[in-house]
Amino acid sequence: MNDITVEPQPVLELQNVGVSYKRRKGLFKRERFWALRDVSFSLYQGESLGIIGRNGAGKSTLLKLLAGIIDQDRGQIRRATLRAALLTLRLGFLPYLTGRENAILSGMLMGIHRREIEQAMDKIVAFAELEGFIDQPLETYSAGMRARLGFAVAFRSNPEILLVDEALGVGDAEFRRKSTELMRQKIHSDQTVVVVSHSASVIKELCDRAVWIESGVTKQAGPTEEILAAYGDQASAKIPRRGKLKRPNVVSHITRNI
Amino acid sequence: MHPYVELVWYKAYADLRAEGARAYLGMLWWVLEPLLQMTVYYIVFGYLLQRGGPGFIYFLLCGLVTWRWFANSLLRGAGAISSNAGLMSQVYLPKYLFPPMAIIANFLKFLIVFLLFLAFLIFSGSALHWSWITLPFLLATQMLLIAACSSLLAAVMPFLPDLKMLIENGLTLWMFMSGVFYDITALPERAQLYFRLNPMATLIENYRAVLIQGAWPDWPALGIIASVSMLGIGAALYLLMRYDRIYPRAVMS
Repeated sequence: MNDITVEPQPVLELQNVGVSYKRRKGLFKRERFWALRDVSFSLYQGESLGIIGRNGAGKSTLLKLLAGIIDQDRGQIRRATLRAALLTLRLGFLPYLTGRENAILSGMLMGIHRREIEQAMDKIVAFAELEGFIDQPLETYSAGMRARLGFAVAFRSNPEILLVDEALGVGDAEFRRKSTELMRQKIHSDQTVVVVSHSASVIKELCDRAVWIESGVTKQAGPTEEILAAYGDQASAKIPRRGKLKRPNVVSHITRNI
Repeated sequence: MHPYVELVWYKAYADLRAEGARAYLGMLWWVLEPLLQMTVYYIVFGYLLQRGGPGFIYFLLCGLVTWRWFANSLLRGAGAISSNAGLMSQVYLPKYLFPPMAIIANFLKFLIVFLLFLAFLIFSGSALHWSWITLPFLLATQMLLIAACSSLLAAVMPFLPDLKMLIENGLTLWMFMSGVFYDITALPERAQLYFRLNPMATLIENYRAVLIQGAWPDWPALGIIASVSMLGIGAALYLLMRYDRIYPRAVMS
């Protein structure tokens, strides 16, 4: 079963991939805009791959592509599995429904069976600290309560490739610590994960390998240390007054991203 | 049950629940709103224009109840893809799931009004006919027509967002062409021929025959509507699958 001598096959492989959008320019004029121009990298079973790049580098388009939400316009993608999904908090939440109904709907949208969610409901309620509130309409919830319910449900989705966008933990200080810790465990486990961030510290903490993307083009891919060094050098070259790239710890970085 | 089937039902239920929770009177509006509209039309056509005669109320309601089902389904179904832009950009879902969600929600709302209408027919003394047992076939035919029209519209709307402006007025015109307020058989022979090309005119005529006159439906006509609708559903499915991963980009930009 385990043939170790063979080079591992990637679960996902991108070759010179490009994605474009048509942007409106005037009444009848449309303009083509390439969000991704030339992206190539491979993702292997069980690893945590970090994708780093500045705002506008094409990271969110890349996530949609990896999740199978959109198709590429050029280049090739080879997939060993179709079960890749974005970790989305509060997916499909409706304010007029109760917390329980929202949990069921959100879970079903993520591909979890209704029965499964209902069986896990007690755990979801306990984890989200919503005892006594779960059958109240969502519109009566505070932002923190919504965030906790969103996380508790999203965490139950179980895609083969988990795609994470920036914020790991949510809610108030205590829940944020709890959820960040859980996400960390999940990322460090056997789960295949892609983490997208513009922060070197997040990638450094969570990922074995990294890919650096700049204006829709892969600049470099390799071990995290190497990539971050190159990314950091460029950042400090561009903003000389800062000296070196700031590296706040992950938790405080996450705080800013809620 | 397949998770997608489960999802379609639950989403239809959730949307209805959310809609009901939005107003003070909630789901009561599903009955009140059609009642109000029917009253308006009854006053205009029955009293002001003096179109009525004995039994006009049954004639009118029969047309209005079934027309409303068609029009509301189309209005909502046409935006099934466009209005779910947020959801589509966060998770992959086959796009052919969206029109059925809207169609089912509208069917449930219609069913309440339709059952009330049947009750009204019975209790107001209009006889109960044996022909009523064919109603499921009439409803099924109209359901196929609705599914075809609304999923075809849903499939092209993301590429032609301006269509939205035309649909509402198009439906108003279509309503006046469908014999909701008048009897098509009273028109000249030649005109009738054109009216029969309109599936809704044919359906409404059949509802009246079955519900009020106690006659059997025009089976060949229903058969034609059902078959053409199935072709339409096939075409819509083809488009929805073909552009499955294009829609999220189309509705975003």
